[in-house]
Amino acid sequence: MKKIVSVALLGLVLSGFSMLAMAQESQLDLIARGKLVATAADCQACHTNPEGGRAFAGDYPIHSPMGTIYTTNITPSKQFGIGNYTLQQFSRAVREGVRPDGANLYPAMPYTSYSHMSDEDIQAMYAYFQLGVKPVEQPTKQTALPFPFNMRIAMAGWNMMYLDNSAFKPDPTRSDEWNRGAYLVNGAGHCDTCHTPRNLMMGSETSKPLAGGMVGPWYAPNISSDPVSGIGNWSQAQLVEYMKTGRTPGKNQAAGPMAEAVQNSLQYLPDSDLNAIAFYLKNAPAVRDPADVQAADSFGSRQVNVEEGLRGAHPSNANHTITGGAALFSGYCASCHQPDGGGSKNQAYPSLYNNTATGLTNASNLISTMLYGVDRQVGNEHVLMPKFGEGSYVAQLTDQQIADISNYVLSNFGNPQVQVAPLDVAVLRAGGPVTLLAKLQPYMAPAMVIGIVVVLALIFWLIRRRRTRHRQ
Amino acid sequence: MKKPLFTADGDVSADVIVVGSGIVGGMIADQMVSLGHSVLVLEAGLRIERAQAVENWRNMPFANRAGSDFQGLYPQSELAPAPLYFPKNNYVNLTGPSASSFQQGYLRTVGGTTWHWAASCWRHLPNDFKMKTLYGVGRDWPISYEELEPYYCRAEDEIGVAGPSDPELQSPSERSKPYPMEQVPYAYGDTRFAEVVNPHGFKSVPIPQGRSTRPWQGRPTCCGNNNCQPICPIGAMYNGIAHVERAENKGAVVLAESVVYKIDTDENNRVTAVHWLDNKKQSHKATGKVFALACNGIETPRLLLMAANEKNPTGIANSSDHVGRNMMDHSGFHCTFIASEPLWIGRGPAQSSCLVGPRDGEFRSQYSANKMIVNNISQVIPATNKALEMGLVGEELDNEIRRRSIYGVDLSISLEPLPDPNNRLTLSKTRKDPHGLPCPDIHYDVGDYVREGAVAAHKQLEYIGKLFMAEDFNITTNLNANNHIMGGTIMGNDPADSVVNGDCRTHDHENLWLPGGGAIPSSSVVNSTLTMAALALKAADDMAKSLAGQA
Repeated sequence: MKKIVSVALLGLVLSGFSMLAMAQESQLDLIARGKLVATAADCQACHTNPEGGRAFAGDYPIHSPMGTIYTTNITPSKQFGIGNYTLQQFSRAVREGVRPDGANLYPAMPYTSYSHMSDEDIQAMYAYFQLGVKPVEQPTKQTALPFPFNMRIAMAGWNMMYLDNSAFKPDPTRSDEWNRGAYLVNGAGHCDTCHTPRNLMMGSETSKPLAGGMVGPWYAPNISSDPVSGIGNWSQAQLVEYMKTGRTPGKNQAAGPMAEAVQNSLQYLPDSDLNAIAFYLKNAPAVRDPADVQAADSFGSRQVNVEEGLRGAHPSNANHTITGGAALFSGYCASCHQPDGGGSKNQAYPSLYNNTATGLTNASNLISTMLYGVDRQVGNEHVLMPKFGEGSYVAQLTDQQIADISNYVLSNFGNPQVQVAPLDVAVLRAGGPVTLLAKLQPYMAPAMVIGIVVVLALIFWLIRRRRTRHRQ
Repeated sequence: MKKPLFTADGDVSADVIVVGSGIVGGMIADQMVSLGHSVLVLEAGLRIERAQAVENWRNMPFANRAGSDFQGLYPQSELAPAPLYFPKNNYVNLTGPSASSFQQGYLRTVGGTTWHWAASCWRHLPNDFKMKTLYGVGRDWPISYEELEPYYCRAEDEIGVAGPSDPELQSPSERSKPYPMEQVPYAYGDTRFAEVVNPHGFKSVPIPQGRSTRPWQGRPTCCGNNNCQPICPIGAMYNGIAHVERAENKGAVVLAESVVYKIDTDENNRVTAVHWLDNKKQSHKATGKVFALACNGIETPRLLLMAANEKNPTGIANSSDHVGRNMMDHSGFHCTFIASEPLWIGRGPAQSSCLVGPRDGEFRSQYSANKMIVNNISQVIPATNKALEMGLVGEELDNEIRRRSIYGVDLSISLEPLPDPNNRLTLSKTRKDPHGLPCPDIHYDVGDYVREGAVAAHKQLEYIGKLFMAEDFNITTNLNANNHIMGGTIMGNDPADSVVNGDCRTHDHENLWLPGGGAIPSSSVVNSTLTMAALALKAADDMAKSLAGQA
């Protein structure tokens, strides 16, 4: 009964927004549709803490180059969540990155993509979060970025430069499928948030759409239609399989944030949406990285076997003989990935050749797979490759060890042009490359003080000059 | 993060000093450091890498594999040897009627012997705690099953145990919480075995195991490499190193190649410090508030005896003269045969099902209980040895190896020795380790209780053999050790005939705990590790109370 009243009340609230849409759709259908939209938008990935957090209660730490951002409670709790938000306030937060109190959100919230979402989808999502989600009465940790990033007002200026808040306009010369795909990739699904590179100011490089970018320690690969740098050599069916299962044999497997995207969002999308995304990606502009000479998944078997040269080389009670890539690979990797790198027969343990993670020019995903493992739940299947970083259940490997294994894998199974140094591993272990903007952070406050002093000095000098002139 | 404080000359002080870094020492270190105490762990042996053990295992000669040499591949500290048998290093000298039945394999290595265990995680039965009361043999525990039960649950969570959710298949079924993971699924051989023997009064149950049947806290799922012993190559099986590293990541300091040999006590007989020798034979001192010796069932009594001081002339914690007495192990034997149908033993982990019908019963007043594990280790090696012995060559050899591998059965039977003060560990007067410290001598007689239990078990096995129309039916006559070392620092209420109380705290020293297998006063027939872990957690709680000034 309470729920029906609430739905009716919500109807009143929404009616001001779009009478027509409401008339065509019952409230409960709206909530159900809102759930689908929220799934496509993958709100869960960031707003639910995967370590035992309650649904949409936030508190998921996003380790951005500027510092840790804690996601917020977006359940309808009136005290801690968004229970008091009006539709307009909700819409503004999602699409413009502005809270009801006027403060700006950080673009860790992908409002730069959500800005293209349709009014209908926003309405449905609002209905879902107000009525379809259980309120969780608990606060989240406060985000406290260092100066000057703690000045949220600065985001208003950033938005002027980098937020395109135009509504999505279908291209009438393209098919419905293409347009649906474009809407999902660049809007609700916000693929571009990770897969489009960012510039020094962390704004999207719009000239290189979907050309790949770092997300913390992971590399979101180029998914433009280029056959060498992007997914041009994937079939439509292979792309759909990847999004639905997190895995396409001979191509790639999802780990890190992409595993979360598949687990929380993509696996639940209707096939029509997945096909639309795949169709759009295959027909989007191609962006080639000149450093790429062949497709990442095209490095095939080189008929090597790590056992040769190792077996019997040392007595069976030796110590300190696990040095160098081959011995490390044999001891830590070959049990599952096999001595020839070909993986298990059923490919539950994937082949290391014909694998994007080992063939990319950027070795981050190979390194981070070792540091952080693979953890992906799709359907009833839970895929886990153990991590080898701190807290590993198998072994905590050093930067040098991971670099040695990386180089063995790259030169024997993957892209032999790529070399990994221990420092590369250290950078990813620390959370990923630090952008220039973040590197400058320690100097910003002193620089601003100096700036103010200089300005004050200038003003003082000008006044004096003026006075002096007056005297003359 | 509170850390131990080191002086320039290598002495150290910490709230908690743990000697030994196996499953017991590691868990205690992790518990105590999690509570905010500074923790130092001193380990006699080397720090090793999993990949080293994996590679050494792959390089191991056939004879060592065929002889189940789980010790030899682990690199040894030259100064703190573990017992080795290929060839024998005679580190532990064995005497008595059952000397050859007490050849224990334990590792002196950071992480301890669970590097090469099979990960069986059995609980004792409630009746095991009341042997004297119920059956008039052995000893009662000073604590009940119900008191230890919450710690069994915690230990199962810490280890990540996969066990049956069906109470009918639990041994025992008195549980307050389900197993953290569902049981290891029966392989074909386990299923067939159960189908054949269960209608005849035997009871096949899945062995609760410390290995993953699904991804568990970042630990991968077991894929059946089948060489749990001597090393799980993928880390799907629990090893004590997990808790050691967890404790280190929280600030505990673990010193390898640090052999403790001396213990200081004050006028109230509280322990004030332990002394250790480093790998350059330099002596250092570790001062602490509470101390736990968790060096394993042989090394802990050895250390207590050799650390005798003026106030404790017969050894630390030894006013009862019970340190080193009551040595126990599940002396057992094997029954092998070729079944009349293929059973395909060897798929999945090294163990999976077990017959537990004779675990308990009125007969225990007369003779030992038993459990019979359907050993799931691949039969290829014994099949090959036998086929070669038969003088076969060429295709006939191949076929016979295949036939025996597929039809072969190996049952591992464990028996329950009673605590006997005459089964005793003493210090050798002549043999010294490379540090010049006395090596252990052990006198052992399994006793008539076990011998008669073996006779009863033989009859049961012969019956099973008939059910399978067994060919080459064989029962080993010599009892073998099972590396479940118990009794040497036995638990009890009476300080006159026991070493520690129900919290594994010594009667003699109020800030010294001896958790682990040595405290166990009745051995049951099941692997001792889970009980050791439960006792470790109970001791850690008591240590924390003591540090908080509450006990």
